[in-house]
Amino acid sequence: MTRLAAVCLPAFLLTGCLFPPEPMTTQAEEVRTLFLIIFGLGALVFVGVEGFLIYAVFRYRRRDDRLPEQHHGNRKVEIVWTVIPTVIVLILFVTSMFTLGDISARSDNPIRIEVEGQQFSWTFRYANGYTVSGNPLAPPVLVVPVGEPVRLSLVSGDVIHSFFVPAFLVKKDVVPFGQGQTPNELEFTVTAPGTYRGQCAELCGTLHADMTFAVQAMDPTDFEAWLATAASATPTPVASIPPDVPVVELTADNIEFSVDELEVPAGKPFVIRFTNAEGVDHNVSIYDGDTNLFTGSKVTGPDVTVDYLVEALDPGEYTFICDFHPIPAMTGTLNVH
Amino acid sequence: MATTTLTPGAKAYERSWVLDWLTTVDHKKIGVLYIANAFAFFFFAGLLALVIRTELAVPGLQFVDESTFNQAFTMHGTLMIFLFIVPVFSGFANYVVPLMLGAPDMAFPRINALSFWMLPLGGLLIVSGYLVGGAAASGWTGYNPLTQEQFSPGDGTDLWLMGLAVVGTASILGSVNFLTTIFKMRAPGMTLFRMPIFVWTVLVTQALILLATPVLTAGLIALFIDRNYGGSFFNPSVGGDPILWQHLFWFFGHPEVYIVVLPALGVVSEILPVFSRKPLFGYAAFVWATIAIGLLSFSVWAHHMFTTGVVFLPFFTFMTALIAIPTGVKMFNWLATLWRGSLVFTTAMLFALGLISMFLIGGISGVMLAAAPVDFHLQDTYFVVAHLHYVFFGGAAMGVFASAYYWFPKMTGRRLNETLGKIHFGMLFVGFNAAFFVQHSLGIQGMPRRIADYAADAGWTEMNLISTAGAFLIAASMVPFVVNVVTTLLNGEKVGDDPWEGNTLEWATTSPPPTYNFDRLPPIRSERPVFDLRHKDDADLHPEGYP
Repeated sequence: MTRLAAVCLPAFLLTGCLFPPEPMTTQAEEVRTLFLIIFGLGALVFVGVEGFLIYAVFRYRRRDDRLPEQHHGNRKVEIVWTVIPTVIVLILFVTSMFTLGDISARSDNPIRIEVEGQQFSWTFRYANGYTVSGNPLAPPVLVVPVGEPVRLSLVSGDVIHSFFVPAFLVKKDVVPFGQGQTPNELEFTVTAPGTYRGQCAELCGTLHADMTFAVQAMDPTDFEAWLATAASATPTPVASIPPDVPVVELTADNIEFSVDELEVPAGKPFVIRFTNAEGVDHNVSIYDGDTNLFTGSKVTGPDVTVDYLVEALDPGEYTFICDFHPIPAMTGTLNVH
Repeated sequence: MATTTLTPGAKAYERSWVLDWLTTVDHKKIGVLYIANAFAFFFFAGLLALVIRTELAVPGLQFVDESTFNQAFTMHGTLMIFLFIVPVFSGFANYVVPLMLGAPDMAFPRINALSFWMLPLGGLLIVSGYLVGGAAASGWTGYNPLTQEQFSPGDGTDLWLMGLAVVGTASILGSVNFLTTIFKMRAPGMTLFRMPIFVWTVLVTQALILLATPVLTAGLIALFIDRNYGGSFFNPSVGGDPILWQHLFWFFGHPEVYIVVLPALGVVSEILPVFSRKPLFGYAAFVWATIAIGLLSFSVWAHHMFTTGVVFLPFFTFMTALIAIPTGVKMFNWLATLWRGSLVFTTAMLFALGLISMFLIGGISGVMLAAAPVDFHLQDTYFVVAHLHYVFFGGAAMGVFASAYYWFPKMTGRRLNETLGKIHFGMLFVGFNAAFFVQHSLGIQGMPRRIADYAADAGWTEMNLISTAGAFLIAASMVPFVVNVVTTLLNGEKVGDDPWEGNTLEWATTSPPPTYNFDRLPPIRSERPVFDLRHKDDADLHPEGYP
């Protein structure tokens, strides 16, 4: 394995794995250019220093017991090698500021989309009211036009997430700011049609890795047509659960669950469609003995329904419970077979 | 080989071996306790790293579930930083700083013992989360509001907060002790600008600890109040500010990087001159560069927050890039120390050279991350993971092993086996680069950090597999190291008081040194008193005014 790594490391350098992905927005092109400038400067320093180090190691091996000349320093060369990194740093700073100005520029009339991050998926809301949601098993798709500026307003109601599409080379945190603070915005203009992978980049809890999405860029005319059709198709499903996932229903009212037994198939994910009928906080969590297997997010009613997507369980008897009211009336048995 | 023939005779009063170690206030024994405790946590946190790398070797969840995974990387980061890499240098510093200054002990020996014994307590508090339903799982940075009660229920996070507060308090106590020792306990003739560079780096490090750690501790207490007593410091749903936590954390967290790495740079600056048989090139420049890094480290914290959208990017980009200048000066001074030297490649020297070559990569990737637009792409990806491991592992941990091989003869009178040492170095060096170099590529290609799984079609599989193989090679390299330490302790080669022909005062006493260290000291007229003593008959090599 070591030998494999030893062969692969230079191979990675040569094949360009250290270069950013193909840039797919005008902003990404700017970032990539800056990356290459700084990477080039870094590579020069790397080759220079490591080269000297290797040279010195071979050239100045101890050959006899004589004491080498005792040099304590040299003011002139020390000034020179203070100036060299200073120059590099100034180049880096100035070019970075130019790029920063370019990619932070705001256009007058962008297409505005609100992006909401929540544990553990995304919701995209268009200006005409059309909404796309998803879940970890069916990640949502953000449809945008090519060649037109798109401005995302990034909001969160729970924890910090980060909107990251590698091909866009610019990510932005989705922060649950307090009242009165403006949400973060991210503006980009996609340069070519295609589908680009994205995912949450800021640790946001257990299923952080599953908080993925895709960006689909299409011609502006196709985009207009898509948005018109999509918006007229009513109503938008709250969450697009894949068709083959079984759904069981559960309601909480008067601090009591509607049923004390649920049946689901083993070995496949399922959805608990949970309705909180009262204005008290409830949730549904699943335990195997003392081991927590699933924690549903808090739901405050009255009459709010959420779909909890639960990962596949092995056959057996589990407990479902409201973490806020761990009493017999809010405890039940989950039979998986 | 040794030119000193001092035989200090003071003996401590007799106690049983166990009681002696449990109640000792001798800085050398406390130093050894620090090091042993740090390595215990290092091995545990290393196993957690193997859990992480095993899960990530191939796509899909095979080995652990997400919640175990999140606990593993949270505990790995927390323990490696707060209970291995910082305390292990406190240990080496505890052992050698009083010796290097010609002092009999630390200024406050009892506080020294207290600040050590709080460490295992704090560490066990942090780890004990595993016994009460799950350890903390929101990353070593503990971002809010994820760490709030509603998103991270359970006692693991509270134990993490308490443990860190204890460890932080211990390091504040230690820092007062070190600063007092360095300013007040120096032997006659040991002026500030004759102190070994290692002592200078410890001085700056401890000043950073004193100024930065209370900020973290305040944040930990505020978060504890949020979680347990209905506070609203960081919880936006009740009017708190989650970004405030990031400011507090990183105002501590960035100086922390230099707290970790400066002592390692100090060790290199001791080892290179000894094994090149030349003085450190540009001693004064090196001191000023260390001070400059310490000062600058307080003005760069928000470069960890470029993507939050609420920090002033030009200022933090500029200040962060500035740190490259003093760091570059150090790098060039080291190279000039090697220039026309007479180099001998002991294991300690190999680790020192390994540090220089690897820390350089960490420095270059750090400058790349300093450019805000580049950071927009790389933030929170594996590039950052690679960068921090090139600084913490390629930099600081290489320095730990260099210190271990360099000072082991001083601590025990026996030298670690050089053959096993070189096998250790070779395996570690190759394993380290296999594990972490590819992570630069993974990050640039867009793999986020802290994910338990990734898509099979993302193109990340091969590099992850290489990285995992490298991690196991690092783990395997610990076998020759542990075997070496054990066999040397039992039956190692006895090498006298000064096997390396050292420069600094710790080599002017016996190995191991007696309680209170010295009977008498050589004249101190330069930063190399033992070198001067060795060449006392050669007038050309004398500093001015040598008796």
